[in-house]
Amino acid sequence: MLKKSLKLGIATGVALATAATAATAAQCSNDTWKKVMAAGKLVVGVKADYKPWGFRDPSGKLIGMEADMAQDVADAMGVELEMVPVQSSNRMQFLEQGKIDLMIATMSDREDRRKIVGIVGPNYYTSGTNVMSPKAVGIKKWDDLKDKPVCGKQGAFYNKIVTERYGAKVIAFTGNAEAKQALRDKKCVAWVYDDSSIMSDLSSGEYNDFEMPLNSEDDNPWGLAVPLAEKNCVFGNFMSGMQYNWLSSGRLIELEKKWGIQPTKFLADKKELYKDWLAK
Amino acid sequence: MAMLKPIPGISSASATDMAVLKPVTVATPGSASDINFSRFVSDLPWWTLPALAAIFMMWPIAAYAQSTFTMADATSALIRWLPFLVFQGFVFNILISVTTMALGTIAGVVLGLMQVSPNRMIAQPAWLITQTFRNSPWLVLLFIVMLAFPFKIEIGSLTIQIPDWIKAVIGLSLPIMANISEVVRGAIASVPSGQWEAAESLAYSRQQTLWRIILPQCFKRMIPPWMNWYAILTMATPLVSLLGVEEIVTLSQQAMAAENSRPELLVPFYGFCLVIFFAYCYPIARWTIALERKYTVKL
Repeated sequence: MLKKSLKLGIATGVALATAATAATAAQCSNDTWKKVMAAGKLVVGVKADYKPWGFRDPSGKLIGMEADMAQDVADAMGVELEMVPVQSSNRMQFLEQGKIDLMIATMSDREDRRKIVGIVGPNYYTSGTNVMSPKAVGIKKWDDLKDKPVCGKQGAFYNKIVTERYGAKVIAFTGNAEAKQALRDKKCVAWVYDDSSIMSDLSSGEYNDFEMPLNSEDDNPWGLAVPLAEKNCVFGNFMSGMQYNWLSSGRLIELEKKWGIQPTKFLADKKELYKDWLAK
Repeated sequence: MAMLKPIPGISSASATDMAVLKPVTVATPGSASDINFSRFVSDLPWWTLPALAAIFMMWPIAAYAQSTFTMADATSALIRWLPFLVFQGFVFNILISVTTMALGTIAGVVLGLMQVSPNRMIAQPAWLITQTFRNSPWLVLLFIVMLAFPFKIEIGSLTIQIPDWIKAVIGLSLPIMANISEVVRGAIASVPSGQWEAAESLAYSRQQTLWRIILPQCFKRMIPPWMNWYAILTMATPLVSLLGVEEIVTLSQQAMAAENSRPELLVPFYGFCLVIFFAYCYPIARWTIALERKYTVKL
Protein backbone atom coordinates (compact mmCIF):
# COMPACT_ATOMS: atom_id res chain seq x y z
CA MET A 1 0.00 0.00 0.00
CA LEU A 2 2.69 2.37 1.10
CA LYS A 3 4.92 1.27 -1.73
CA LYS A 4 2.16 1.79 -4.23
CA SER A 5 1.36 5.31 -3.10
CA LEU A 6 5.07 6.11 -3.07
CA LYS A 7 5.39 4.95 -6.67
CA LEU A 8 2.37 6.96 -7.62
CA GLY A 9 3.82 9.96 -5.88
CA ILE A 10 7.11 9.68 -7.75
CA ALA A 11 5.32 9.25 -11.06
CA THR A 12 3.21 12.34 -10.43
CA GLY A 13 6.30 14.25 -9.41
CA VAL A 14 8.14 13.31 -12.57
CA ALA A 15 5.14 14.16 -14.71
CA LEU A 16 4.79 17.53 -13.01
CA ALA A 17 8.47 18.28 -13.42
CA THR A 18 8.37 17.42 -17.12
CA ALA A 19 5.32 19.58 -17.61
CA ALA A 20 7.05 22.45 -15.82
CA THR A 21 10.13 22.29 -18.06
CA ALA A 22 8.01 22.08 -21.17
CA ALA A 23 6.01 25.07 -20.05
CA THR A 24 9.10 27.29 -19.48
CA ALA A 25 10.50 26.31 -22.84
CA ALA A 26 7.29 27.12 -24.63
CA GLN A 27 6.39 30.40 -23.06
CA CYS A 28 8.52 33.47 -23.37
CA SER A 29 8.80 35.81 -20.47
CA ASN A 30 11.10 38.13 -22.45
CA ASP A 31 12.56 39.39 -19.18
CA THR A 32 15.82 40.69 -20.62
CA TRP A 33 14.16 42.36 -23.58
CA LYS A 34 11.59 44.07 -21.36
CA LYS A 35 14.28 45.13 -18.89
CA VAL A 36 16.36 46.70 -21.65
CA MET A 37 13.41 48.55 -23.14
CA ALA A 38 12.22 49.76 -19.73
CA ALA A 39 15.67 50.92 -18.64
CA GLY A 40 16.48 52.38 -22.04
CA LYS A 41 19.92 50.86 -21.83
CA LEU A 42 21.46 47.81 -23.45
CA VAL A 43 24.49 46.25 -21.76
CA VAL A 44 26.71 44.41 -24.22
CA GLY A 45 29.75 42.34 -23.30
CA VAL A 46 32.65 42.85 -25.72
CA LYS A 47 36.33 41.97 -25.64
CA ALA A 48 38.86 44.52 -24.44
CA ASP A 49 41.98 42.65 -25.48
CA TYR A 50 41.21 41.37 -28.97
CA LYS A 51 42.24 43.84 -31.58
CA PRO A 52 40.60 44.73 -33.92
CA TRP A 53 37.28 43.21 -32.79
CA GLY A 54 37.17 44.59 -29.30
CA PHE A 55 39.91 46.68 -27.71
CA ARG A 56 40.51 50.00 -26.00
CA ASP A 57 41.63 53.34 -27.31
CA PRO A 58 44.08 55.27 -25.10
CA SER A 59 41.21 57.07 -23.40
CA GLY A 60 39.89 53.71 -22.22
CA LYS A 61 36.88 53.61 -24.53
CA LEU A 62 35.99 50.22 -25.98
CA ILE A 63 36.23 50.25 -29.76
CA GLY A 64 36.51 47.79 -32.61
CA MET A 65 34.39 45.90 -35.08
CA GLU A 66 32.24 44.23 -32.44
CA ALA A 67 31.85 47.48 -30.52
CA ASP A 68 30.44 49.01 -33.72
CA MET A 69 28.08 46.05 -34.07
CA ALA A 70 26.91 46.57 -30.48
CA GLN A 71 26.21 50.21 -31.34
CA ASP A 72 24.15 49.12 -34.36
CA VAL A 73 22.05 46.88 -32.10
CA ALA A 74 21.45 49.64 -29.56
CA ASP A 75 20.55 52.08 -32.34
CA ALA A 76 18.05 49.63 -33.80
CA MET A 77 16.43 49.15 -30.40
CA GLY A 78 16.48 52.88 -29.75
CA VAL A 79 18.28 52.54 -26.45
CA GLU A 80 21.56 53.68 -25.01
CA LEU A 81 24.58 51.41 -25.20
CA GLU A 82 26.79 50.37 -22.34
CA MET A 83 29.74 48.13 -23.08
CA VAL A 84 31.26 45.86 -20.47
CA PRO A 85 34.66 44.27 -21.08
CA VAL A 86 34.55 40.48 -20.91
CA GLN A 87 37.19 37.80 -21.12
CA SER A 88 37.01 34.41 -22.78
CA SER A 89 36.92 32.82 -19.36
CA ASN A 90 33.98 34.80 -17.97
CA ARG A 91 31.87 35.92 -20.95
CA MET A 92 29.28 33.14 -20.67
CA GLN A 93 28.99 33.51 -16.90
CA PHE A 94 28.39 37.25 -17.27
CA LEU A 95 25.48 36.52 -19.60
CA GLU A 96 24.06 33.81 -17.36
CA GLN A 97 24.29 36.07 -14.32
CA GLY A 98 22.59 38.95 -16.07
CA LYS A 99 25.61 41.26 -15.84
CA ILE A 100 25.28 41.70 -19.59
CA ASP A 101 22.21 41.44 -21.83
CA LEU A 102 24.00 40.50 -25.01
CA MET A 103 27.43 39.11 -25.79
CA ILE A 104 29.37 39.86 -28.96
CA ALA A 105 32.81 38.68 -27.95
CA THR A 106 34.65 36.75 -30.68
CA MET A 107 33.12 33.54 -29.41
CA SER A 108 33.33 30.44 -31.58
CA ASP A 109 29.97 28.77 -31.94
CA ARG A 110 30.41 25.37 -30.28
CA GLU A 111 27.90 22.74 -29.31
CA ASP A 112 28.76 22.77 -25.60
CA ARG A 113 28.41 26.55 -25.48
CA ARG A 114 24.93 26.41 -27.00
CA LYS A 115 23.78 24.58 -23.87
CA ILE A 116 24.83 27.52 -21.71
CA VAL A 117 23.97 30.63 -23.72
CA GLY A 118 21.49 31.42 -26.47
CA ILE A 119 23.62 31.53 -29.62
CA VAL A 120 21.42 32.57 -32.56
CA GLY A 121 22.11 32.28 -36.29
CA PRO A 122 23.14 33.18 -38.89
CA ASN A 123 26.76 33.35 -37.69
CA TYR A 124 28.32 36.71 -38.38
CA TYR A 125 31.95 35.73 -38.84
CA THR A 126 34.29 32.81 -38.99
CA SER A 127 37.92 32.08 -38.39
CA GLY A 128 40.24 29.14 -38.59
CA THR A 129 43.05 27.92 -36.42
CA ASN A 130 46.63 28.11 -37.56
CA VAL A 131 50.10 28.48 -36.10
CA MET A 132 52.88 31.01 -36.42
CA SER A 133 56.24 29.33 -36.32
CA PRO A 134 59.87 30.28 -36.97
CA LYS A 135 60.89 29.42 -40.53
CA ALA A 136 63.96 27.68 -39.09
CA VAL A 137 61.81 25.09 -37.32
CA GLY A 138 60.35 24.00 -40.65
CA ILE A 139 56.96 22.75 -39.60
CA LYS A 140 55.15 21.22 -42.57
CA LYS A 141 52.06 19.52 -41.18
CA TRP A 142 49.96 19.57 -38.02
CA ASP A 143 51.41 16.22 -36.90
CA ASP A 144 54.84 17.88 -36.63
CA LEU A 145 53.54 19.49 -33.43
CA LYS A 146 53.32 16.15 -31.63
CA ASP A 147 54.91 16.29 -28.17
CA LYS A 148 56.31 19.74 -28.94
CA PRO A 149 55.62 22.78 -26.77
CA VAL A 150 53.11 25.12 -28.44
CA CYS A 151 52.18 28.56 -27.07
CA GLY A 152 48.58 29.65 -26.92
CA LYS A 153 46.19 32.02 -25.25
CA GLN A 154 44.12 31.05 -22.22
CA GLY A 155 40.46 30.41 -22.94
CA ALA A 156 40.80 29.53 -26.63
CA PHE A 157 38.88 26.38 -27.50
CA TYR A 158 41.48 25.17 -29.99
CA ASN A 159 44.09 24.71 -27.27
CA LYS A 160 42.24 21.54 -26.37
CA ILE A 161 41.87 20.43 -29.98
CA VAL A 162 45.55 20.88 -30.75
CA THR A 163 46.37 18.89 -27.63
CA GLU A 164 43.92 16.08 -28.25
CA ARG A 165 44.17 15.76 -32.01
CA TYR A 166 47.86 16.38 -32.56
CA GLY A 167 49.39 15.67 -29.18
CA ALA A 168 50.96 19.11 -28.87
CA LYS A 169 51.88 20.38 -25.41
CA VAL A 170 50.04 23.68 -25.12
CA ILE A 171 51.42 26.38 -22.83
CA ALA A 172 48.63 28.95 -22.45
CA PHE A 173 49.40 32.58 -21.58
CA THR A 174 47.12 35.37 -20.36
CA GLY A 175 47.98 37.67 -23.24
CA ASN A 176 49.20 37.46 -26.81
CA ALA A 177 52.22 39.63 -26.06
CA GLU A 178 53.39 37.07 -23.50
CA ALA A 179 52.74 34.21 -25.92
CA LYS A 180 54.67 35.88 -28.74
CA GLN A 181 57.53 36.71 -26.39
CA ALA A 182 57.69 33.04 -25.42
CA LEU A 183 57.75 32.12 -29.11
CA ARG A 184 60.68 34.47 -29.68
CA ASP A 185 62.43 33.12 -26.62
CA LYS A 186 62.11 29.64 -28.18
CA LYS A 187 60.06 28.29 -25.30
CA CYS A 188 57.73 26.83 -27.89
CA VAL A 189 57.98 25.82 -31.54
CA ALA A 190 54.77 27.54 -32.60
CA TRP A 191 52.04 29.91 -31.48
CA VAL A 192 48.51 28.65 -32.10
CA TYR A 193 45.89 31.32 -32.78
CA ASP A 194 43.34 32.72 -35.24
CA ASP A 195 44.58 32.63 -38.81
CA SER A 196 43.46 36.21 -39.51
CA SER A 197 45.42 37.61 -36.55
CA ILE A 198 48.53 35.69 -37.51
CA MET A 199 48.19 36.95 -41.07
CA SER A 200 48.09 40.57 -39.94
CA ASP A 201 51.14 40.08 -37.72
CA LEU A 202 53.09 38.52 -40.57
CA SER A 203 52.17 41.34 -42.91
CA SER A 204 53.43 43.92 -40.39
CA GLY A 205 57.02 43.14 -41.38
CA GLU A 206 58.17 42.52 -37.83
CA TYR A 207 57.97 38.76 -38.06
CA ASN A 208 60.06 38.15 -41.15
CA ASP A 209 61.69 35.05 -39.69
CA PHE A 210 58.28 33.51 -39.05
CA GLU A 211 55.70 31.83 -41.24
CA MET A 212 52.19 30.38 -41.18
CA PRO A 213 53.06 26.99 -42.63
CA LEU A 214 49.88 24.96 -42.14
CA ASN A 215 46.43 24.81 -43.69
CA SER A 216 43.92 26.49 -41.42
CA GLU A 217 41.79 24.02 -39.55
CA ASP A 218 38.46 24.06 -37.78
CA ASP A 219 37.04 26.92 -39.72
CA ASN A 220 34.63 27.81 -36.98
CA PRO A 221 31.77 30.29 -37.22
CA TRP A 222 31.47 32.90 -34.49
CA GLY A 223 28.29 33.39 -32.58
CA LEU A 224 26.80 36.22 -30.61
CA ALA A 225 24.58 35.23 -27.72
CA VAL A 226 21.52 36.30 -25.77
CA PRO A 227 20.47 34.70 -22.47
CA LEU A 228 19.44 31.09 -23.08
CA ALA A 229 15.83 31.72 -22.03
CA GLU A 230 15.48 34.43 -24.68
CA LYS A 231 16.90 32.40 -27.54
CA ASN A 232 13.62 31.59 -29.24
CA CYS A 233 11.86 34.70 -28.02
CA VAL A 234 11.87 38.36 -29.00
CA PHE A 235 15.51 39.08 -28.25
CA GLY A 236 16.89 35.98 -29.98
CA ASN A 237 14.76 36.49 -33.06
CA PHE A 238 15.66 40.16 -33.17
CA MET A 239 19.38 39.34 -33.08
CA SER A 240 18.92 36.80 -35.88
CA GLY A 241 17.38 39.62 -37.89
CA MET A 242 20.25 41.96 -37.05
CA GLN A 243 22.78 39.40 -38.25
CA TYR A 244 20.84 38.68 -41.42
CA ASN A 245 20.77 42.38 -42.25
CA TRP A 246 24.45 42.88 -41.43
CA LEU A 247 25.34 40.04 -43.78
CA SER A 248 23.00 40.88 -46.65
CA SER A 249 23.64 44.63 -46.63
CA GLY A 250 27.41 44.26 -46.62
CA ARG A 251 27.67 46.22 -43.38
CA LEU A 252 30.13 43.72 -41.96
CA ILE A 253 32.33 43.93 -45.06
CA GLU A 254 32.32 47.69 -44.54
CA LEU A 255 33.34 47.26 -40.88
CA GLU A 256 35.99 44.71 -41.84
CA LYS A 257 37.54 47.36 -44.11
CA LYS A 258 37.21 50.08 -41.46
CA TRP A 259 39.15 48.04 -38.90
CA GLY A 260 41.79 46.80 -41.35
CA ILE A 261 40.81 43.15 -41.27
CA GLN A 262 41.75 41.12 -44.33
CA PRO A 263 38.58 40.63 -46.40
CA THR A 264 37.18 37.17 -45.84
CA LYS A 265 35.49 34.92 -48.34
CA PHE A 266 32.92 34.09 -45.68
CA LEU A 267 31.39 37.57 -45.65
CA ALA A 268 31.47 37.89 -49.44
CA ASP A 269 29.71 34.53 -49.80
CA LYS A 270 27.06 35.42 -47.24
CA LYS A 271 26.35 38.71 -48.94
CA GLU A 272 25.79 36.81 -52.16
CA LEU A 273 23.66 34.17 -50.41
CA TYR A 274 21.34 36.62 -48.68
CA LYS A 275 21.12 39.18 -51.48
CA ASP A 276 17.75 40.70 -52.20
CA TRP A 277 16.27 38.91 -55.24
CA LEU A 278 14.63 42.14 -56.43
CA ALA A 279 17.77 44.23 -56.20
CA LYS A 280 19.49 45.00 -59.46
CA MET B 1 64.76 21.19 45.16
CA ALA B 2 63.12 24.53 44.98
CA MET B 3 63.19 26.38 41.67
CA LEU B 4 65.50 29.33 41.53
CA LYS B 5 63.63 32.53 41.88
CA PRO B 6 63.58 34.27 38.49
CA ILE B 7 65.43 37.54 38.37
CA PRO B 8 63.20 40.23 36.88
CA GLY B 9 64.80 41.95 33.96
CA ILE B 10 67.25 39.10 33.37
CA SER B 11 65.47 35.79 33.10
CA SER B 12 62.06 37.33 32.49
CA ALA B 13 60.66 40.68 31.46
CA SER B 14 60.80 43.18 34.25
CA ALA B 15 57.49 43.85 35.89
CA THR B 16 58.32 47.40 36.87
CA ASP B 17 59.28 50.61 35.19
CA MET B 18 62.18 51.05 37.61
CA ALA B 19 65.68 51.32 36.25
CA VAL B 20 66.46 47.69 35.71
CA LEU B 21 68.38 45.86 33.04
CA LYS B 22 65.91 45.07 30.32
CA PRO B 23 66.13 41.75 28.50
CA VAL B 24 67.10 42.02 24.86
CA THR B 25 63.94 41.46 22.88
CA VAL B 26 64.17 40.33 19.32
CA ALA B 27 61.08 40.28 17.17
CA THR B 28 60.27 36.64 16.47
CA PRO B 29 60.58 35.82 12.79
CA GLY B 30 57.21 35.84 11.09
CA SER B 31 55.61 37.85 13.82
CA ALA B 32 52.88 40.10 12.55
CA SER B 33 54.31 43.18 14.10
CA ASP B 34 57.76 43.06 12.57
CA ILE B 35 58.16 45.49 9.75
CA ASN B 36 60.87 43.88 7.64
CA PHE B 37 59.11 44.76 4.43
CA SER B 38 59.11 48.48 5.15
CA ARG B 39 62.65 48.26 6.45
CA PHE B 40 63.85 46.65 3.24
CA VAL B 41 62.07 49.16 1.01
CA SER B 42 63.11 52.19 3.02
CA ASP B 43 66.75 51.06 3.03
CA LEU B 44 66.89 51.28 -0.76
CA PRO B 45 68.63 54.47 -1.89
CA TRP B 46 66.58 57.30 -3.34
CA TRP B 47 67.90 56.74 -6.86
CA THR B 48 66.37 53.25 -7.07
CA LEU B 49 63.24 54.67 -8.67
CA PRO B 50 64.89 56.64 -11.51
CA ALA B 51 67.27 53.74 -12.06
CA LEU B 52 64.40 51.24 -12.38
CA ALA B 53 62.51 53.55 -14.72
CA ALA B 54 65.57 54.00 -16.91
CA ILE B 55 66.20 50.26 -17.15
CA PHE B 56 62.65 49.52 -18.22
CA MET B 57 62.61 52.27 -20.80
CA MET B 58 65.93 51.16 -22.30
CA TRP B 59 64.87 47.53 -22.48
CA PRO B 60 63.50 47.46 -26.04
CA ILE B 61 66.80 48.60 -27.57
CA ALA B 62 68.83 46.23 -25.48
CA ALA B 63 66.65 43.21 -26.17
CA TYR B 64 65.75 43.77 -29.79
CA ALA B 65 68.50 45.74 -31.41
CA GLN B 66 67.55 44.10 -34.70
CA SER B 67 63.84 44.81 -34.41
CA THR B 68 62.10 47.57 -36.33
CA PHE B 69 60.42 48.57 -33.09
CA THR B 70 62.48 51.29 -31.46
CA MET B 71 62.74 52.72 -28.00
CA ALA B 72 60.95 55.82 -29.23
CA ASP B 73 58.00 53.66 -30.33
CA ALA B 74 57.84 51.96 -26.94
CA THR B 75 58.11 55.25 -25.09
CA SER B 76 55.43 56.92 -27.15
CA ALA B 77 53.14 53.91 -26.69
CA LEU B 78 53.63 54.05 -22.93
CA ILE B 79 53.07 57.81 -22.80
CA ARG B 80 49.91 57.43 -24.86
CA TRP B 81 48.50 54.94 -22.36
CA LEU B 82 49.90 56.52 -19.23
CA PRO B 83 46.85 58.58 -18.18
CA PHE B 84 44.56 55.60 -18.74
CA LEU B 85 46.78 53.21 -16.78
CA VAL B 86 47.22 55.63 -13.90
CA PHE B 87 43.76 57.12 -13.54
CA GLN B 88 41.64 54.12 -14.39
CA GLY B 89 44.07 51.46 -13.29
CA PHE B 90 46.35 52.48 -10.47
CA VAL B 91 43.80 54.73 -8.79
CA PHE B 92 41.55 51.69 -8.64
CA ASN B 93 44.34 49.68 -6.97
CA ILE B 94 44.59 52.42 -4.37
CA LEU B 95 40.83 52.34 -3.89
CA ILE B 96 40.94 48.56 -3.40
CA SER B 97 43.82 48.85 -0.94
CA VAL B 98 42.19 51.62 1.11
CA THR B 99 38.80 49.88 1.27
CA THR B 100 40.42 46.56 2.14
CA MET B 101 42.54 48.19 4.84
CA ALA B 102 39.50 49.91 6.38
CA LEU B 103 37.52 46.69 6.42
CA GLY B 104 40.45 44.58 7.58
CA THR B 105 41.37 47.02 10.34
CA ILE B 106 37.87 47.16 11.81
CA ALA B 107 37.53 43.39 11.79
CA GLY B 108 41.13 42.92 12.92
CA VAL B 109 40.81 45.21 15.94
CA VAL B 110 37.69 43.37 17.08
CA LEU B 111 39.41 40.02 16.59
CA GLY B 112 42.57 41.21 18.35
CA LEU B 113 40.61 42.40 21.39
CA MET B 114 38.80 39.07 21.45
CA GLN B 115 42.19 37.35 21.48
CA VAL B 116 43.21 39.06 24.72
CA SER B 117 39.90 38.35 26.41
CA PRO B 118 40.23 36.49 29.75
CA ASN B 119 37.25 34.40 28.65
CA ARG B 120 38.64 31.35 26.88
CA MET B 121 35.40 30.80 25.00
CA ILE B 122 36.09 34.09 23.24
CA ALA B 123 39.87 34.05 23.10
CA GLN B 124 40.35 30.60 21.62
CA PRO B 125 38.06 30.90 18.59
CA ALA B 126 39.58 34.33 17.93
CA TRP B 127 43.05 32.79 18.08
CA LEU B 128 42.01 30.03 15.68
CA ILE B 129 40.48 32.45 13.17
CA THR B 130 43.57 34.65 13.34
CA GLN B 131 45.99 31.79 12.77
CA THR B 132 43.91 30.28 9.97
CA PHE B 133 43.71 33.44 7.90
CA ARG B 134 47.24 34.58 8.71
CA ASN B 135 48.67 31.35 7.39
CA SER B 136 46.56 30.84 4.27
CA PRO B 137 47.79 31.87 0.82
CA TRP B 138 46.10 35.12 -0.18
CA LEU B 139 45.25 33.95 -3.65
CA VAL B 140 43.48 30.88 -2.29
CA LEU B 141 41.37 33.05 0.03
CA LEU B 142 40.56 35.32 -2.92
CA PHE B 143 39.42 32.41 -5.07
CA ILE B 144 37.25 31.01 -2.29
CA VAL B 145 35.52 34.34 -1.70
CA MET B 146 35.11 34.97 -5.43
CA LEU B 147 33.45 31.61 -5.99
CA ALA B 148 31.56 31.24 -2.73
CA PHE B 149 29.93 34.65 -2.62
CA PRO B 150 26.82 35.30 -4.69
CA PHE B 151 27.04 37.90 -7.44
CA LYS B 152 23.80 39.44 -6.26
CA ILE B 153 21.72 39.49 -3.10
CA GLU B 154 17.97 39.58 -3.21
CA ILE B 155 16.17 41.10 -0.26
CA GLY B 156 12.50 40.93 -1.06
CA SER B 157 12.11 42.75 -4.36
CA LEU B 158 15.37 44.60 -3.96
CA THR B 159 18.31 43.17 -5.87
CA ILE B 160 21.78 44.28 -4.92
CA GLN B 161 24.51 43.45 -7.42
CA ILE B 162 27.87 42.70 -5.86
CA PRO B 163 30.60 43.75 -8.26
CA ASP B 164 33.69 41.55 -8.52
CA TRP B 165 35.95 44.16 -6.99
CA ILE B 166 33.87 44.24 -3.80
CA LYS B 167 34.31 40.50 -3.53
CA ALA B 168 38.04 40.98 -4.09
CA VAL B 169 38.08 43.52 -1.27
CA ILE B 170 36.38 41.02 1.05
CA GLY B 171 38.82 38.30 0.02
CA LEU B 172 41.88 40.46 0.61
CA SER B 173 40.61 41.85 3.89
CA LEU B 174 40.58 38.36 5.47
CA PRO B 175 44.38 38.00 5.73
CA ILE B 176 44.66 41.70 6.62
CA MET B 177 42.12 41.19 9.40
CA ALA B 178 44.12 38.28 10.82
CA ASN B 179 47.42 40.15 10.69
CA ILE B 180 45.97 43.29 12.25
CA SER B 181 44.49 41.06 14.94
CA GLU B 182 48.01 39.88 15.76
CA VAL B 183 49.30 43.46 15.69
CA VAL B 184 46.66 44.46 18.26
CA ARG B 185 47.33 41.43 20.43
CA GLY B 186 51.06 42.02 20.26
CA ALA B 187 50.73 45.72 21.09
CA ILE B 188 48.57 45.00 24.12
CA ALA B 189 51.02 42.33 25.30
CA SER B 190 53.90 44.76 24.89
CA VAL B 191 52.53 47.17 27.50
CA PRO B 192 54.39 46.44 30.75
CA SER B 193 52.24 44.43 33.13
CA GLY B 194 52.89 47.02 35.82
CA GLN B 195 50.37 49.21 34.07
CA TRP B 196 47.67 46.58 34.59
CA GLU B 197 48.63 46.11 38.20
CA ALA B 198 48.73 49.84 38.89
CA ALA B 199 45.30 50.27 37.32
CA GLU B 200 43.94 47.41 39.36
CA SER B 201 45.25 48.96 42.56
CA LEU B 202 43.41 52.14 41.63
CA ALA B 203 40.17 50.13 41.37
CA TYR B 204 39.85 50.35 37.60
CA SER B 205 37.73 47.61 36.11
CA ARG B 206 39.26 45.48 33.35
CA GLN B 207 37.27 47.32 30.72
CA GLN B 208 38.33 50.72 32.05
CA THR B 209 41.96 49.65 32.21
CA LEU B 210 41.86 48.43 28.64
CA TRP B 211 40.16 51.48 27.15
CA ARG B 212 41.66 54.24 29.28
CA ILE B 213 45.16 53.03 30.04
CA ILE B 214 46.35 50.22 27.81
CA LEU B 215 44.87 50.99 24.37
CA PRO B 216 45.94 54.67 24.29
CA GLN B 217 49.51 53.45 24.78
CA CYS B 218 49.10 50.71 22.18
CA PHE B 219 47.85 53.05 19.52
CA LYS B 220 51.23 54.57 18.75
CA ARG B 221 52.93 51.19 18.75
CA MET B 222 50.43 49.81 16.28
CA ILE B 223 50.90 52.52 13.67
CA PRO B 224 54.22 51.31 12.16
CA PRO B 225 53.18 47.65 11.73
CA TRP B 226 49.77 48.79 10.50
CA MET B 227 51.38 50.94 7.82
CA ASN B 228 53.71 48.09 6.98
CA TRP B 229 50.70 45.87 6.31
CA TYR B 230 49.14 48.58 4.20
CA ALA B 231 52.23 48.70 1.97
CA ILE B 232 52.26 44.89 1.66
CA LEU B 233 48.56 44.92 0.80
CA THR B 234 48.99 47.59 -1.86
CA MET B 235 51.71 45.50 -3.47
CA ALA B 236 49.35 42.51 -3.41
CA THR B 237 46.39 44.21 -5.12
CA PRO B 238 47.44 43.10 -8.65
CA LEU B 239 46.48 39.58 -7.51
CA VAL B 240 42.88 40.52 -8.24
CA SER B 241 43.71 40.81 -11.94
CA LEU B 242 43.72 37.00 -11.98
CA LEU B 243 40.04 37.14 -11.10
CA GLY B 244 39.16 39.51 -13.93
CA VAL B 245 38.93 42.67 -11.85
CA GLU B 246 40.06 45.60 -13.99
CA GLU B 247 43.05 47.13 -12.28
CA ILE B 248 46.44 48.29 -13.50
CA VAL B 249 47.77 44.89 -14.58
CA THR B 250 44.58 43.92 -16.43
CA LEU B 251 44.48 47.30 -18.14
CA SER B 252 48.18 47.06 -19.05
CA GLN B 253 47.44 43.79 -20.78
CA GLN B 254 44.55 45.38 -22.64
CA ALA B 255 46.73 48.33 -23.63
CA MET B 256 49.39 45.97 -24.97
CA ALA B 257 46.70 44.10 -26.93
CA ALA B 258 45.60 47.42 -28.46
CA GLU B 259 49.24 48.02 -29.44
CA ASN B 260 49.22 44.81 -31.51
CA SER B 261 50.54 42.67 -28.65
CA ARG B 262 54.15 43.56 -29.37
CA PRO B 263 56.42 41.52 -27.10
CA GLU B 264 58.77 44.55 -26.92
CA LEU B 265 56.15 46.31 -24.82
CA LEU B 266 56.07 43.72 -22.05
CA VAL B 267 59.04 45.04 -20.11
CA PRO B 268 58.19 48.77 -20.42
CA PHE B 269 54.53 48.22 -19.48
CA TYR B 270 55.01 45.78 -16.62
CA GLY B 271 58.06 47.80 -15.59
CA PHE B 272 55.87 50.87 -15.38
CA CYS B 273 53.54 49.00 -13.00
CA LEU B 274 56.51 48.16 -10.81
CA VAL B 275 57.79 51.73 -10.84
CA ILE B 276 54.43 53.23 -9.92
CA PHE B 277 53.93 50.77 -7.05
CA PHE B 278 57.42 51.51 -5.84
CA ALA B 279 56.85 55.26 -6.09
CA TYR B 280 53.74 54.88 -3.95
CA CYS B 281 55.14 52.50 -1.35
CA TYR B 282 58.61 54.00 -0.92
CA PRO B 283 57.48 57.14 0.97
CA ILE B 284 55.13 55.00 3.07
CA ALA B 285 58.00 52.70 4.00
CA ARG B 286 60.30 55.64 4.88
CA TRP B 287 57.58 57.16 7.00
CA THR B 288 56.86 53.83 8.72
CA ILE B 289 60.49 53.43 9.71
CA ALA B 290 60.70 57.04 10.89
CA LEU B 291 57.61 56.58 13.07
CA GLU B 292 58.92 53.29 14.40
CA ARG B 293 62.17 54.94 15.44
CA LYS B 294 60.30 57.79 17.06
CA TYR B 295 58.02 55.54 19.08
CA THR B 296 60.50 52.88 20.21
CA VAL B 297 62.56 55.41 22.13
CA LYS B 298 59.63 56.22 24.36
CA LEU B 299 59.00 52.64 25.46
